[in-house]
Amino acid sequence: MSGVEGGPNYSVEVEGLRVQFGDFIAVKDISFNVNAGEIFGFLGANGAGKTTTIRVLCGLLEPNLGDVRVMGLNPKQGLDAIKSRVGYMSQRFTLYDDLTVDENLSFAASLRKLTREKFSRRKKDLLEFIGFERPLNTLVKNLPGGLKQQVSLCAATLHDPDIVFLDEPTAGVTPTYRARFWSLIRSMAASGKTVFVTTHYMDEAEQCDRIALMRDGSLIALDSPGGLKRSTFPEPIYEISSSREKLDEFWFESIKKRPEILKIQPHGLRYHAQLSKGVVEGQLRELVSSGCVVRVIPPSLEDVFIRLVEGGLP
Amino acid sequence: MNTLVGFIKKEFAQILRDYRMRALLFVAPLIQLTLFSVAISNEVKNIRLAVIASPQDEIANLVTRKAAASGWFIMVEQDNAVEPFELVRSGRAEAVLVAPPGGFTEAYVRDSRPVQLLVDSTNVLRGQQVDNYVQAIFRAAVKERFPVLGPQAGVPIEFDVRILYNPEMITSVFMVPGVMSLILCLLTIVLTSMAITREKEMGTFETLVAAPVSTTEIILGKTVPYIVLGTLDSVLILTFAILVFGVPQKGPLIILIFSMFVFICATVAIGTFISTISKTQQQAMLGGFLFLFPAIQFSGLMFPIENMPIYMRFFSAINPLSYFIVLQRNIMLKGGDASIILKNLAALVAIGVVMIAISFTRFKKKLS
Ligand SMILES: Nc1ncnc2c1ncn2[C@@H]1O[C@H](COP(=O)(O)OP(=O)(O)OP(=O)(O)O)[C@@H](O)[C@H]1O
Ligand SMILES: [Mg+2]
Repeated sequence: MSGVEGGPNYSVEVEGLRVQFGDFIAVKDISFNVNAGEIFGFLGANGAGKTTTIRVLCGLLEPNLGDVRVMGLNPKQGLDAIKSRVGYMSQRFTLYDDLTVDENLSFAASLRKLTREKFSRRKKDLLEFIGFERPLNTLVKNLPGGLKQQVSLCAATLHDPDIVFLDEPTAGVTPTYRARFWSLIRSMAASGKTVFVTTHYMDEAEQCDRIALMRDGSLIALDSPGGLKRSTFPEPIYEISSSREKLDEFWFESIKKRPEILKIQPHGLRYHAQLSKGVVEGQLRELVSSGCVVRVIPPSLEDVFIRLVEGGLP
Repeated sequence: MNTLVGFIKKEFAQILRDYRMRALLFVAPLIQLTLFSVAISNEVKNIRLAVIASPQDEIANLVTRKAAASGWFIMVEQDNAVEPFELVRSGRAEAVLVAPPGGFTEAYVRDSRPVQLLVDSTNVLRGQQVDNYVQAIFRAAVKERFPVLGPQAGVPIEFDVRILYNPEMITSVFMVPGVMSLILCLLTIVLTSMAITREKEMGTFETLVAAPVSTTEIILGKTVPYIVLGTLDSVLILTFAILVFGVPQKGPLIILIFSMFVFICATVAIGTFISTISKTQQQAMLGGFLFLFPAIQFSGLMFPIENMPIYMRFFSAINPLSYFIVLQRNIMLKGGDASIILKNLAALVAIGVVMIAISFTRFKKKLS
């Protein structure tokens, strides 16, 4: 694979990558590595620069600055070598709606110049892999959205790439199909492929080995989901709930003003609170009435991202 | 599996699956051709002609006989009591051929030619055609009466050279090759440019370029299917024109089809170029029509190029239609003249090569 001999094994290496569209800098000097065989989540709000970065890594866009290596290959030494080891499922249409499943796959095979034997073998394996049970001459436009994305995954991995870039593969797909798609992602990673995936769903981000968070073209965090939670919230988060009395607006407004409370936010019928420096759990228990239940909870990824994104604001 | 073959299969599947596309490709051209030809033949039929001459005038009698036999004329009864001008004014006749004193034959032999032809030109186009038709009939009559003298010996009326190659006087014979080229041009330019921009618009273009394919492969992959379809279509239209409209095909068929092929390559190249300057299918369609309207105007199909001002002739010089119309008329109607064929083919090749070269560099720049 790649990397220095005996060094770490990376599928993607990015060093000081910058992409500019005219005066607008879409990707601002970011650096990161993706380990071989991991599920790498790429997160960020709309326009953060995720697709732009992926397009560079797939050899579709030339960077203005910085070094990129994919499977140890440098784009400057020829894009075709990279393209043949990379699978790409773009954010937009990747299949032709007016062609059948079979026609789409065989066109993908001819783009990749697969031999007839390899094509029929891969097609059989992949359709088995996704559990495709409809007739192969079904027009793609007649498939449900979630199934379309699975067929699209087949088309993108027909040539057996070492790494797949999936740009929002589950956008607009039902929860059942999302879960199904992620089980496919996990099996692909288990079989040794590197999966580079973008998503806006937190439950999907939780399933990544590592997550990179982009904001306005910069990389603001990169760690495993657990690591991100620990580093972003070193102090515990307390959940306050009550089954007996109603924790209403008045209660919220009064407790918010207490100096012991650093921050408190409503979460449905409950509240999440953080304490000021030096304040201990016992003090919080005294503060709220005896009917309340106070317990320490792990932060959700959503909390992490909200804090990371807001925390960075001037 | 070959990339180009894959492209051809895919484009064919996409085009032929859509019944609107099938209709556009294989039915619409034939309907267009038919409508056009019917419109033309309505225009030239039923010309009411009166010949004012003495009953003994041989040429006058020949003209009457030939005109009646041609099927294009309705003879108006000769009535010496009515002024020729009055015949036209009242609408009883559209054309009145008036013999000079002493008759046509006498005038022709003696070389004094005050032959009068009155034509109703309320409808200018029809008037011109009626004029041409009567002249041609008259000429034929003179030739029959005095075969040895030949046409140069002095025929009282000037002839339009165009009729020389269309002795049956069927205007559609002259127009059909032009209309064919127009239909082909429309099909190839609009279809090609829309097929490429559709991929950009949908986003599937990303998938194409994410594969290790070269710019050449993509351009060939997106153009060859349309060249094949265009050529098939041109053969279909040609067969229809020959079998149904009786358009003559005097030149070598293989050269005619080859010219059609070269013309289609040139127009597909223009379609490719249009796709490189448009982002959406709508823009591509608009671009296609923006090209087509002046291209038809400056093609020589409707107005002779020689009659255009110099600066406008520039447009005909870069217009593939104008070369192809000359080519097709020359091959089909005249039998094909080697130097004319070569000259016009070379021009088409040049246009195609320049267009594809520009598209190629624009594509390449965009992809990187
Ligand atoms: N070809 C381009 N020309 C100009 N600006 C562009 C181009 N492509 C992307 N941008 C801009 O660059 C920024 C980053 O876009 P990008 O598509 O990478 O965002 P993203 O993180 O993928 O967002 P989303 O979640 O909406 O997909 C956006 O502001 C976008 O408008
Ligand atoms: Mg995106």
